[in-house]
Amino acid sequence: MKNTILVFACLLVWACNQNKTLPIYGERSLQTFEKEGKSIIDTVYATVPPFVLLNQNGDTVTEALVKGKIYVADFFFTTCPTICPIMKKEMLRVYQKIKGDENFVLLSHTIDPDYDSIPLLKDYCNRLGSDGKQWQFLTGQREVIYELAEKGYYATAMPDSTEPGGYVHSGGFILVDKQSRVRGIYNGTDAKEVDQLMEDLFILKAEKE
Amino acid sequence: MRILSLLALAFMCVFAACSDSELVSMKQLSSGAKLYEQHCSNCHQADGSGLALLIPPLQQADYLTNNALLLPCLIRNGAVGAMEVNGKIYNQKMPGNGKLNDAEILDICRFVLQKFPEKPISLEDESLTLALQKCDSVGN
Repeated sequence: MKNTILVFACLLVWACNQNKTLPIYGERSLQTFEKEGKSIIDTVYATVPPFVLLNQNGDTVTEALVKGKIYVADFFFTTCPTICPIMKKEMLRVYQKIKGDENFVLLSHTIDPDYDSIPLLKDYCNRLGSDGKQWQFLTGQREVIYELAEKGYYATAMPDSTEPGGYVHSGGFILVDKQSRVRGIYNGTDAKEVDQLMEDLFILKAEKE
Repeated sequence: MRILSLLALAFMCVFAACSDSELVSMKQLSSGAKLYEQHCSNCHQADGSGLALLIPPLQQADYLTNNALLLPCLIRNGAVGAMEVNGKIYNQKMPGNGKLNDAEILDICRFVLQKFPEKPISLEDESLTLALQKCDSVGN
C-alpha cells in the first residue's frame, strides 16, 4: 500500500513538472514581421542586451559566449563581508550540479572593478575550484556593469558608503534562457530558492526553442 | 494545570542543579552563538565550513586547537596575509570588527572554541581577557 502511494506521488510530481513553464521577465511588445509575403504579428520579449566584458584570464567575453546556452548571472565583489560568501557557497552548489554539461554557463560579475583586478579574479576563481570556463568571473567599466545589472538583469548594484564593504547589491541569481530572456530571479543566499533554480535549469534545458 | 506546575518544578530542579558559574557560561555560550550568527557566519558559514579555498573553515580547524589564544585579537583586528588551516593556505583578508566590545568578543571566542574544534577548548576567562588586552596594546 505504502509503495502504491509512493509511486502515485512520484507520478503526480512528474506529471506536474512536465507542465511547468517559467515566466518571461521584462516588457514585451507586439511587432509585425514579413514572412513569405504575409505580415505576421508576434510577441517580442525583452532580452539581456549585448555586452563586452573581460574575464578572469583577461579575455574578452561577449554575449556570444552564452549564445544558445542557459546561464545564471550574479553580482558580487571579492572583499564583500556580507552576503557574497553565502552566495558563492550556493553558486558553488549550482556549479557542481551543471559541471560538464555544456548547455550551462555561470557568470559572476564584480561590482568593484577598481579593486577586483583580473589577477585577483583569477585567484578567486581558482580558489573557488572553478575551471574558469563554465563559471567565469567578469569585470569591465563600472558604469557598464551597473547598467547591465539594472537594465539587463533587473538587479541592483551601486556604491553605498553606509553598507559594510561599501556597496549595496542584490543577492539575486538571474536565470537566462537560450534566447537571452530572463526566466527567473532567485535569492542567492537562500538554499531553498537555489534548489528551485537547480530544478528550473533543467526545465529550460528541456524547453523547445 | 497540574502538568504546568510539574514542569515548573522540573525546571527549578534543573536550574538548581547548575552552579552559578555553569549558568553564566550557558548564557555566554548562547550570546556567543547569536553574535557568531550576526558577525561571523556570513563568511565562515553557519556550520563553520568556510568557503572553498577562500575562507578557512572553523569546523575541525587545527588552527583553533593550536592558536586558541590568538582568537580574541583575530576577531577584533582581522588578519592579512597567508594563514594555514588544516594543511591548506588561505590568503583572503579577514576584516576586523571594531564595534564589538570586550565581553562580546569573549562570548564569541567561548562559543567558537566549544563548537568547532575537534575537541572543545575551555579557556579561563582571565587568559582570554589578557589576550585581548595584549592585542590592544600591541595594536596589531
